[in-house]
Amino acid sequence: MGTLKKLLKARSLSSAVFLAALLLAVGAVNPSFLSPSNVSACFNTSVVYTLVAVGMAFTLLVGEIDVSVGANLGLVAAVVGTMLRDGQPLASACLVGILIGVVIGCINAWGVAVMGAPSLIFTLGANGVLRGIVYLYTNGAWVENLPKGFKDFSSVTAVGSLTVYFCAVFVLVLAIHLILTRTRHGRYFAAVGDNAQAATLVGLPTRRIKVLAYVLCGVLSALGGIIFCSRIGFVTPMSGNGYEMKAVAACVLGGISLLGGVGSVIGSAIGAVIMASISYLLVFMGFSSNYDNAITGVILIVIVVVDALLQHRTSKRNRRARLDARVSMGGDIR
Amino acid sequence: MKEISRRRFLEAACASAGMLVLAGCGGSTGNAPDSSGDDNAGAGEVAGKTVAFIPKVTGNAFFESANDGAQSHSREWGFSVDYIGDATASVSAQVSVINQAVANGVDAICISTVDANGVSDALGKATDAGIVVTTWDSDAKPEDRTLMVSQGTPEILGQMLIDLSIAGLKERGIDAEKDEVGYVWHYSQATVTDQNSWQVAAEKVIKEQYPNWTNVHENYYSNQDAEQAITIGEAILDAYPDIDLIICNDSTALPGQLQAAENKGYDAQRITITGFASPQSIKSYCEHGTIFNWGLWDCAVQGAMGCYVAAYLAAGNKVKVGDTISIPGIGEVAVEPNDSIAEGAVTAEENNGVVLLPERLVFTKENMNDYSF
Amino acid sequence: MRARLRALLAKGQASWNVMLVSLLVLEFVIFGATNPKFLRPELLFTSLNDSLPVFMISLFVTFVMVTGGIDIQVASLVGLTSITIGVGWQDFSLPIWGAVAAATVLAMACGALSGFLIAYCRVQAMVVTLGGSFLYSGIALLISTLSSTESYQGIGGFPDEFKFIASYRLAGVVPLQFLIYALLLAIAFILLHKTTYGRRVFLSAVNQSAAECSGINTRLVIMSTYVLSALSAALAATVLTAYLGTAKSDLGADLTMNIITVVVLGGTLSTGGRGSIVGTMLASFVMALLRFGLPLCFRISTQHLNIPIGILLVAVIVARSVSAKGLGLTSRLTKLITRRGGADPRGGDSQERGGQRHTREASS
Repeated sequence: MGTLKKLLKARSLSSAVFLAALLLAVGAVNPSFLSPSNVSACFNTSVVYTLVAVGMAFTLLVGEIDVSVGANLGLVAAVVGTMLRDGQPLASACLVGILIGVVIGCINAWGVAVMGAPSLIFTLGANGVLRGIVYLYTNGAWVENLPKGFKDFSSVTAVGSLTVYFCAVFVLVLAIHLILTRTRHGRYFAAVGDNAQAATLVGLPTRRIKVLAYVLCGVLSALGGIIFCSRIGFVTPMSGNGYEMKAVAACVLGGISLLGGVGSVIGSAIGAVIMASISYLLVFMGFSSNYDNAITGVILIVIVVVDALLQHRTSKRNRRARLDARVSMGGDIR
Repeated sequence: MKEISRRRFLEAACASAGMLVLAGCGGSTGNAPDSSGDDNAGAGEVAGKTVAFIPKVTGNAFFESANDGAQSHSREWGFSVDYIGDATASVSAQVSVINQAVANGVDAICISTVDANGVSDALGKATDAGIVVTTWDSDAKPEDRTLMVSQGTPEILGQMLIDLSIAGLKERGIDAEKDEVGYVWHYSQATVTDQNSWQVAAEKVIKEQYPNWTNVHENYYSNQDAEQAITIGEAILDAYPDIDLIICNDSTALPGQLQAAENKGYDAQRITITGFASPQSIKSYCEHGTIFNWGLWDCAVQGAMGCYVAAYLAAGNKVKVGDTISIPGIGEVAVEPNDSIAEGAVTAEENNGVVLLPERLVFTKENMNDYSF
Repeated sequence: MRARLRALLAKGQASWNVMLVSLLVLEFVIFGATNPKFLRPELLFTSLNDSLPVFMISLFVTFVMVTGGIDIQVASLVGLTSITIGVGWQDFSLPIWGAVAAATVLAMACGALSGFLIAYCRVQAMVVTLGGSFLYSGIALLISTLSSTESYQGIGGFPDEFKFIASYRLAGVVPLQFLIYALLLAIAFILLHKTTYGRRVFLSAVNQSAAECSGINTRLVIMSTYVLSALSAALAATVLTAYLGTAKSDLGADLTMNIITVVVLGGTLSTGGRGSIVGTMLASFVMALLRFGLPLCFRISTQHLNIPIGILLVAVIVARSVSAKGLGLTSRLTKLITRRGGADPRGGDSQERGGQRHTREASS
C-alpha cells in the first residue's frame, strides 16, 4: 500500500512536471508569455474543464465512464441561464441546476449500476437524449443577456491574478483528493474500480458506491454548467459539446486509468489545465492557426506516450524488485 | 451449430426484407413524389405549398432567427415552412437533409448551402423530381437553383466590415487613413466558405487603400465554440497588448471576443472590436460600452423572402431578369442577373437570377433595441 | 428442435442478432404502414447512400473494438484521404487512381502510427486516437493549404471515371457504392469470423498474456486492426468524395459518434473480446432506417432525431442487460418454449460485465 501511494503521488507529480514543461516551452518561444497574469490566465480558463474532469474521474475510478457530462453541462447552463435572464434569484437557479445534475446522475447510475448496462453505451445514449432536450428547451435559440453582476463575478480575483472561481475549485479538488485517499469511505471508490467482485466479497456496498460516483459526477458537471454561464455569458444549444472527450483526455493525462482503480483527482485537474490552456498557449506560440489542430494532437500524443513509457519502466522496475525480494527471502519462487 | 443458426438468421432476414421491398415495389407508382396540398386553387397561388427551409446548421442564432422570420411570415402568406437541418455544419449531413426533403415530397426547397459543389448533385436530383430550389445566405451553383436571395457580394460585405472598423476607430480618436493600426481577424474556421470570402475581399481592399494597417498575425479560429472564442480572445489581448482592432465576422466569435475584453476590463475606448452578429447577442456588451458598432442584415426577412420566392415559383409563376416580384408585407424586389454577385456567371432564360436584400444593417446603441433577433 | 432453439437463444450474440433483426422488421412494418413511400426502392437506396460511409467504417471499427480499443480518429482520416485525393490529382497532377492510392497509403500509415502507439507503447486507445483525430485533421488542413484552391473551397471537377463510383446504378436501382459495401461486408465477415487472423483478434482481447504464450504476436494483431480501420476510412472517403464531387479537408467530421453508436449497438463489447460483423451490419441498417423513417413518417425533423435514437440505444442496452440477468423477455420466452420449470442458465455470460483485466495486470 505504501508503494501504491508513492506511485500515485509520483504520477500527479509527473503531470505537474508536464504542465510546467509546456509552460516553459511556450515561454522559450515567446518570452512575453512568462508574466504572472498570463500564466494565471491559463489556470483561470480551466475552471469549467476541471470540474467536468474531476466528475469524470469519479466514474473512471470506479471502473466505469460517463460520456454524458457535456450534455449535462449544456442543459444545466441553459436552464440556469434562462432562469437568471428571466430575473429569478441566483440561489434558486443554482439549486435547480444542481438538482438537474443529481437527477441525471441518478438516471445514469440506474442504468449502469442497477440495470448493469455497459457504461459507455448507456451514457452515450443519455448524451444524445440530453442534447435533444437542450435543443427542445431552448428552441434552438441562444440564452443571452444574463445579469451583468453574475457575469462580472467570473473576473473577480482572489489571489494575485487567480480568480475566485479558480481558488474555490482548487480548494474543492484538494478536499476531494484528501477524502478519496485518506478516509476509509473515500478509498472504497478505488477499491471498487480495482476489482468490483473482490470489493463485494469483502463487504463493500459496491452498487451504492457506483451510484454515488455517478451522482457526484452529475453534480460536478452541473456546477461546471453554472460557472460556464458566468464565465461565458451566453449559452448556445451546442454548449458543452465535446467536453466529455476533453475530460477523458484530461484524466488520462493526469494518470487515471480507464480501467479503474488507479489515479488521483489532482492529476485530472492538472490534465484539465493542460487541455484548457492549449488554445491559449497556441496564440502565444505564434504559429499560423492552420497548425492549431496538428499541434494539439502532437502535444496530447507526446505527453501520453512519454507517460506510458515511464509507467512501463517504473512497473518493470517494481516487478523486478518484487521478484528479487521474493528470491532473496529464500529459494522457493512459488 | 453456430454456422447453421447464423445462416438461418441471414436467410430469414433477407427473406423478410426482400418480401417487404417487393411489396413496396408493387405498391409504388412512378418516380416523382406527389406534391402535398392543393396546388391549383388559383394558378400561381402560394397558399397551401410546403417549403423545406434548410439552414447550414441548426442551433445557431442566425439561422434560428431566420427560421422564426420565415415561420411568422409564412403563416400570413398561407403556406407552410418545414425547418429541417443538421446540428453539424457538414456537407454530407446537408445532402442527406436535402434527400430527406425530396422524400418528404415538399414543393420547394430554400437552402443556405454548406458547400456549393458538394450539394450540387443532390439539388439536381431535387429539381428533377419537380421541386423548386432557391437559395439564401450561402449560394449554390447558379445552374442548380432558380433564385438566390443575397445579402450582398463578398465585396460589399468585406467593405462593410472595413467601414464598421473605421467608424469604431474614429470613435476613439484614431484616424484610419493616417495612423498605424494593428489588427487581426478572429472567426470560425478556415474551411467555411462565406466568412472566408468576406475576409479575402476585405484584405484586398486593406492592401490597396490602407497600407498603414498591419495584420499582426494570421487569422484566429475558434470553431463556433463559445469557450474557445473567449480563451482565444483573451490570448489575443494578452499576447498583443497594443492591438487596435479585432474583426470578428462570426456570430460566436464576436460575443466571445467581447466577453474576453470585458473579463480583462477593456472597453471600446481601449480597443475596437467589431464584426457580424445578431443585435440581441451583442446588446449587453454595447450597453456596457465594450463595443461601438457591429453589423448584420435582417436575416429574418431574408429567410422569409427566400421561402416566399420558392413558394411563388412552385406555384407555377415564371420570372425573367428584370421582372419584379411583389412580396406582401415586404415590398417589391427585382430579379437581377447572376453576374451581379458572381463575376462571369451566366443567367438562364427564365427562373434564374438574384434578388438582392435592399440593405444591410449597422447596429449601434441608438438602434439596437429596435430589433428582436 | 427445442434444445437447439434454447441453445440458440442462450448464445449471447445470436440472441442479440435476433433482437436486431426483429427491430429491423419492426421498422419496416411501422414505417411502411405509416407512409408507403418508405418502401420505395429508389428512396430507400438514396437514403442508405447517405449513410454508407458509416456502414463501411463501422465494419472495421468493429475489429478495433473487439480488441478492447476504440478508434475516434477515423473521421479525421476520412477528411485527410479526401483532401489528399483532391490535392494529389489537381495540384500534383497525379492520375486520379494514383491519387487515390497515395491517399489510402497515407491514411493507413496514420492508422499504423496510432496502432503502434497503442499496441507497443501500451497507451490508452481513447486518448491516442483522440490526439490522432486532432493531429490528422490538422494535417488535412495543412495539405489543403498546399493547394492553389483555398481551404474553404472544395476541390472539384473530378473526371467521370472517378465519379462513376457514385453515379452508376445496377439495374437502375442499386447504387455501385452499395455493392462495394456488400463486398467489404463479405471480406470483413470472413476475415473476423472464418480466418485464423480473426480468431487471433478475439484471443488477443480475451486474454492477452495467454495469447502471447500461445505464440500469437498480439501486438502486431492489435496494431493491424487500426490499420484496417484506417483503410476502411480511406475507402469510405473515396466513395464520399466521388458521391459529393468535392474534396474537402473536413469531410466526415460528424461521423465519429454515429460509428461508435452503430458498433456498440451491434453487440460489440466496449471492453473487447466480443463482437460480430453481422451484428454491426444489422445495427447500421437499423440506425440508417431510423434516421430515414422518423422524419418521413412521423415528421420528426432531423435536428430532433437525437432523442429517439438515444432512447432506442438506452432501451436496447437496458433490455439486454436485464435479459442477461435472466429477468427479461428472452429468458421468459426460452422458458416457455422449453417448458422447463427451473431457471435457465444465464443468457449472457459472466465475461460480459466483468471486463478484461489482463492489460492492466501486465502494466501494474
